[in-house]
Amino acid sequence: MRSSLTPLGPPVSRDRVIASFPKWYTPEACLQLKEHFHGHVSAACQRRNTGTVGLRLSKVVVVGDLYVGKTSLIYRFCKNVFDRDYKATIGVDFEIERFEIAGIPYSLQIWDTAGQEKFKCIASAYYRGAQGPVIITAFDLTDVQTLEHTRQWLQDALRENEANSCFIFLVGTKKDLLSGAACEQAEAEAVHMANQMQAEYWSVSAKTGENVKAFFSRVAALAFEQSVLQDLERRNSAQLQVGDGDLIRMEGSPPKSQDSKQPSSLGCC
Amino acid sequence: MEEPPLREEEEGEEEEEEDAERDEAGPEGALGKSPFRLTAEDVYDISYVMGRELMALGSDPRVTQLQFKIVRVLEMLEALVSEGNLAVEELRMERDSLRKEVEGLRRVGPPDSAGGEVNLGPDKVVVDLTDPNRPRFTLQELRDVLQERNRLKSQLLVAQEELQCYKSGLFPLPREGPRGRREKDALLARASNASSSKEEKTIIKKLYNYSNKKHT
Repeated sequence: MRSSLTPLGPPVSRDRVIASFPKWYTPEACLQLKEHFHGHVSAACQRRNTGTVGLRLSKVVVVGDLYVGKTSLIYRFCKNVFDRDYKATIGVDFEIERFEIAGIPYSLQIWDTAGQEKFKCIASAYYRGAQGPVIITAFDLTDVQTLEHTRQWLQDALRENEANSCFIFLVGTKKDLLSGAACEQAEAEAVHMANQMQAEYWSVSAKTGENVKAFFSRVAALAFEQSVLQDLERRNSAQLQVGDGDLIRMEGSPPKSQDSKQPSSLGCC
Repeated sequence: MEEPPLREEEEGEEEEEEDAERDEAGPEGALGKSPFRLTAEDVYDISYVMGRELMALGSDPRVTQLQFKIVRVLEMLEALVSEGNLAVEELRMERDSLRKEVEGLRRVGPPDSAGGEVNLGPDKVVVDLTDPNRPRFTLQELRDVLQERNRLKSQLLVAQEELQCYKSGLFPLPREGPRGRREKDALLARASNASSSKEEKTIIKKLYNYSNKKHT
């Protein structure tokens, strides 16, 4: 059965299969609180009526100061390795990670940008996304300066995109280096920052792997859901233009009114 | 820039000659000198000569009146001469020190090979051509290389996926004969239970044989 769904790729590995909606890290700074896929999305997935979503890539851009661990985070997730040695990223790099979400194949193209100032002019050319990329601003939990700088990184990334079309995540790295009160303190400051940037907050450790998979699953699920909703909306409006018998039913339940009822869309998407 | 020092040297020689002249000619000699070479002492000599002549004219009150004016004019001349000589001395010292500096710089060599402190102005960098790690490539070249790398990487990913599809039997191997059938079964078996390296070897070997047979 799977082969008929994924004509363009081998089956995804078991830990890339997302059946239920992944949860937030902290309810104090999250993009949405609901624990299930949007009703229209589940229905569309069950009917295998997700259009071309399954063939699409969602763009994820990871930005942040040098040496906060952007590359390490991506490597832990995509290759499940951690290299203790620091090697500065030159310009940009990318990885493609394939998922199966609610039975539909879905891919993330994760762009790893250089944190060094001298590469900014190269990396910034990759910030733009066709339909609003996911922006991950990373900082080092043990270095408060890097948290301060996320504001600027986000601003730079948003300059290339329509602010309302982007999902924004704030990720604190090197969680393994902090514990107890110091960790709580750093997270509190980060949550505060996340609320200011209308971002969802996560603490992770590439070294131990803590929260890494959960975080990217969350990113993938949110991006996937938005893609399906956008696709449904586009097809609905296309049908409206044709003006067939579906017209009245469409008016009865436009997907937009459902969106606005969601508890914490935070002006995003 | 070569000429002035030469002229200076000539002048110096002349000066020496005239000093000798003056010594011989006595106080009267000062009046025969070039005005640009007068010294304060010459002015004193002139005033001595003139004073003596005025005295000889007797005590006519008109002479006394003229005497005051002459004294004043001589004072002015003295001031001009000493001021002028002082300025010349200063300029000469400055010239000498500059000459020394130029000689020093010439001895060190031309500035581009010297690597000394060269003021290039703001937003400029000096590149050491002997440094193997010196900056060499332009931003555009780096951009092009990265783009090429990204293109190749995505092609690699596609190729890997395709390979995975063949390995897992998702795509049928081209032109299946009874032998191909067996091949595919073996591949499927391998995909289902990530099997030992021994089996992997045999599959690769079989695949190799298979493609060889096809081509011959």
